[in-house]
Amino acid sequence: MLTQQLLLLSVLLYVAGALASLALNRAGKIANYASGISALAAAGTGMASAVQVLAGGAAFTWEAAGFIPFAKFIIKVDPLSAFMLLVISLLTGATALYSLSYLDEYTGKGAGVMGFFNNLFIASMVLVVISGNAFYFLIFWELMTLASYFLVSFDQEDSEAVKAGFIYLFMAHAGTALIMLAFILFFVYTGTFDFASFRGANLPVFTKSLIFLLAFLGFGAKAGIIPLHIWLPKAHPAAPSNASALMSGVMIKTAIYGILRVSVDFLGASVWWWGFIVLASGAISAVLGVLYALGEHDIKRLLAYHSVENVGIILMGAGAGMIGIAAGQPVLGVLGILAGLYHLLNHAVFKGLLFLGAGSVIYRTHTKHMEELGGLARRMPWTALAFLVGAVAISAIPPLNGFVSEWFTYQSLFIASTSSILAVRVFAPLFVVMLALTGALAAMCFVKAYGVTFGGPCRSGHAREAREVPIPMLAGMAILAISCIILGVGAPVVAPYIGKVASALLAITAVQVSDGLLVFPANSMQAMLSTPLIAILLVGLATLPLLIIGIQGGFQAGRRIDAEPWACGYKYSPRMAYTATAFAQPLRVLFRPVYSLRTTLDGPGYTVASYFKGAVVYIASVESLWERYIYAPLARGTVYLGKKLQAFQIGNVRLYCLYIIITLVVLLLATVR
Amino acid sequence: MPGIKLFLVGLMQALLVLLVAPLFAGLTRVLRARLHSRKGASIFQDYRDIFKLIKRQEVVPAQASWVFRFTPYVVMATTLLIAMVIPILTLQSPLGMAGDLIAVVYLFALLRFFFAVAGLDSGSGFAGIGASREMVLAILVEPTIILVLFVLALLTGSTDLGAISQKVAFGSISYYRPAVWLGMLAFAVATFIETGKLPFDLAEAEQELQEGPLTEYSGRSLAILKWSLSMKQVVVIALFLAVFFPFGSAAAVSTSSLLVSAAAFLLKVTGFYVIAALMENSSARLIIYKAPEVTWLAFGIALLSFVFYLVNV
Repeated sequence: MLTQQLLLLSVLLYVAGALASLALNRAGKIANYASGISALAAAGTGMASAVQVLAGGAAFTWEAAGFIPFAKFIIKVDPLSAFMLLVISLLTGATALYSLSYLDEYTGKGAGVMGFFNNLFIASMVLVVISGNAFYFLIFWELMTLASYFLVSFDQEDSEAVKAGFIYLFMAHAGTALIMLAFILFFVYTGTFDFASFRGANLPVFTKSLIFLLAFLGFGAKAGIIPLHIWLPKAHPAAPSNASALMSGVMIKTAIYGILRVSVDFLGASVWWWGFIVLASGAISAVLGVLYALGEHDIKRLLAYHSVENVGIILMGAGAGMIGIAAGQPVLGVLGILAGLYHLLNHAVFKGLLFLGAGSVIYRTHTKHMEELGGLARRMPWTALAFLVGAVAISAIPPLNGFVSEWFTYQSLFIASTSSILAVRVFAPLFVVMLALTGALAAMCFVKAYGVTFGGPCRSGHAREAREVPIPMLAGMAILAISCIILGVGAPVVAPYIGKVASALLAITAVQVSDGLLVFPANSMQAMLSTPLIAILLVGLATLPLLIIGIQGGFQAGRRIDAEPWACGYKYSPRMAYTATAFAQPLRVLFRPVYSLRTTLDGPGYTVASYFKGAVVYIASVESLWERYIYAPLARGTVYLGKKLQAFQIGNVRLYCLYIIITLVVLLLATVR
Repeated sequence: MPGIKLFLVGLMQALLVLLVAPLFAGLTRVLRARLHSRKGASIFQDYRDIFKLIKRQEVVPAQASWVFRFTPYVVMATTLLIAMVIPILTLQSPLGMAGDLIAVVYLFALLRFFFAVAGLDSGSGFAGIGASREMVLAILVEPTIILVLFVLALLTGSTDLGAISQKVAFGSISYYRPAVWLGMLAFAVATFIETGKLPFDLAEAEQELQEGPLTEYSGRSLAILKWSLSMKQVVVIALFLAVFFPFGSAAAVSTSSLLVSAAAFLLKVTGFYVIAALMENSSARLIIYKAPEVTWLAFGIALLSFVFYLVNV
């Protein structure tokens, strides 16, 4: 049973690395190596184990009595778990390699403690996706939350980070409470916490829907579905970049795993409106997530908002799949889940890459603010290239991976548009429009993110002094950049494996999605796509203009490097280059209602003469509607309620005795009657 | 093997677009001159410009990185690829196996992405404005394009552009359906905007933006980019024609039928350019904040087309 032993070894390596790192805390750099190398080895073994299961190996279960009488400790690896394990291991491998150099920043600031939490965090994610018992699932889920909380609020001197950590902890626990309720409902009906008996449990339809809603909201808080997303753009940027990559790349995916596990695997996705809710909230999260991202100029916050967007796209696929299952269209079921899982993998890869890229920029420039960067492509060429690959991939541009999974999402929505359910038939094409809008917005956002950070002139001293990052960091990014290309161009090879995971989840026979160099949505008459062909032709056709120039003798004229761009005859200054704020400005005006834009003009007054005396500062702040209209009233209400309840608690011992007596009397009456 | 034959047709389409695009750019200029009661330069002037520029020395701002230098080639390669996928000469999509309409829409995004990044990369303020507008316009037009294409795909039962062309050409999708002609109307507006004609000439606005993202380009790069942009116009129009006016395109591949369909294609594109020139020269440029009024209208029409599809009239 090599597969099982590899998996076990992987978890043990994470834990051992965590402990070693903690023990070596005083020896900063060595602690980094301890945690990084153990995580790298663990990722390797974890991946080997996952690949064996995915490549056709059987699912396996491993049981131990555990020390709690009502819950057995069960490890269960089915194709879905193995797939998640693969995603986690792939990203862990890249970030671990990256962190070998990156965490130098934290030497002397508790690098060992950070390594401890980091490895514990990864181990808990692995355990979450392979756990076969609800009780242990929740324990590992909680472990994952706490470990990541400590990573988010690691920098205790940064009040923003501490606040972000608090909001994260609060939202995560609200979510956990709902998940717990969902599992308790299962327990009430089945009498056990084993996932195996949850599967196909005989529940009333109402209870099923209730469980679905609880699980969807509970996991949704972790996944960052709008409006449960408010913690995400605060918490992900606050963590160190290798941890941000893991949080955005895989932690929120464990929530997607939870949604799929509960609603598809356990409940059989038997009611169509479940899928519809998943699809609709996915579409809304996608569009709003990317719109908020466009308003951001902090590179890590921008990336965090894109996680909201991409979780939305993943849920669109998953939702379409769930509708397919409920409507008795197994092909749609498989395709939708395939689209969702494919995008899950892709997002882990390119978002991980982008966070590592942002981390490299911060490592060298010590600023997250895009307006202070610029011109880094000439100073950090390899980082720039890796970031560009990630930017193209996340913008769903062919032939890279983001496009392939979105293409499958489009195709599943196309099938959903012919559904027998009227609401689905009406709304599916509109969701297609929302997906297209998301794609266009994402492309604009990443033109901004890449163009302003890496292109153009250096806007500050930070940027001018930047130089390329050390080799381990480049290697970490390179793994992910190459994965982006392989998962895109190699779609005909990759898609069938993910299709198998999807069909195993639905317990139906696999649907054919590829043939030779082609991928297609089960039926090649509906559509075909060949990313390898697109890639080959793009490269081939690019030689045509080169050939024309060559024949015409254009290369003999040479190239002259001009000192600076043309500036209407004035002296050029880097301040003339377009800024991120300016770039996104038209959108902020066009989508004013969504942004609730507030602009302030700060200067020496509004008379014409005064404009020439001092600098005028224009501030356009994008505020979150959700915080203002949902969370702030909620917080105020809670405080108000608390104040009112304080009347009962005035510190008088005699009064407390009275409460006890009243309670006893009430209980007595209740039992006697 | 039919695959090879179709692939060759695809290459022919790419070459056709490559060769005639500057001619249509010239036509636009001549038409504009005539409408202004000027004589104007020859219709072949654009070919001369391009080949003169190719031989000139290239000047690159020191601020720019390699993205700036690669962009012209990426843009031209992408445009050529799109020209191979869209059914221009045949009713089939010559390279239908490489991608469907969704792939085409996203290939346009590839082209735009690099064009805009290059604009920011050059460090020029004008190029930055152009880049921003290029992307904003895409955001405004994309929903209309995808919705109309999607409705036609639903009518066809396939997202393959060739399948749509065939159904429209053989009358299986009737023009009498409101869904079709409303979709055509919306798509015509979107096509007009995408070709970057005057009221929407926002990204490369010659007079005030110094041609936007093109500002810092010179020499061979400028030649390739100018050429590619005129090709992009033809390709965008070809997409419109392939979906709504596929008549005259060859149903079967033979030398004579391909010649006929090439002639038909050139005629149809000329028609589009003439109509576009009339509209272009009777209007002044919109400011970017006014563009949504038109794009919302187009999207509204597209939505109406979808509603008519739903009620199946």
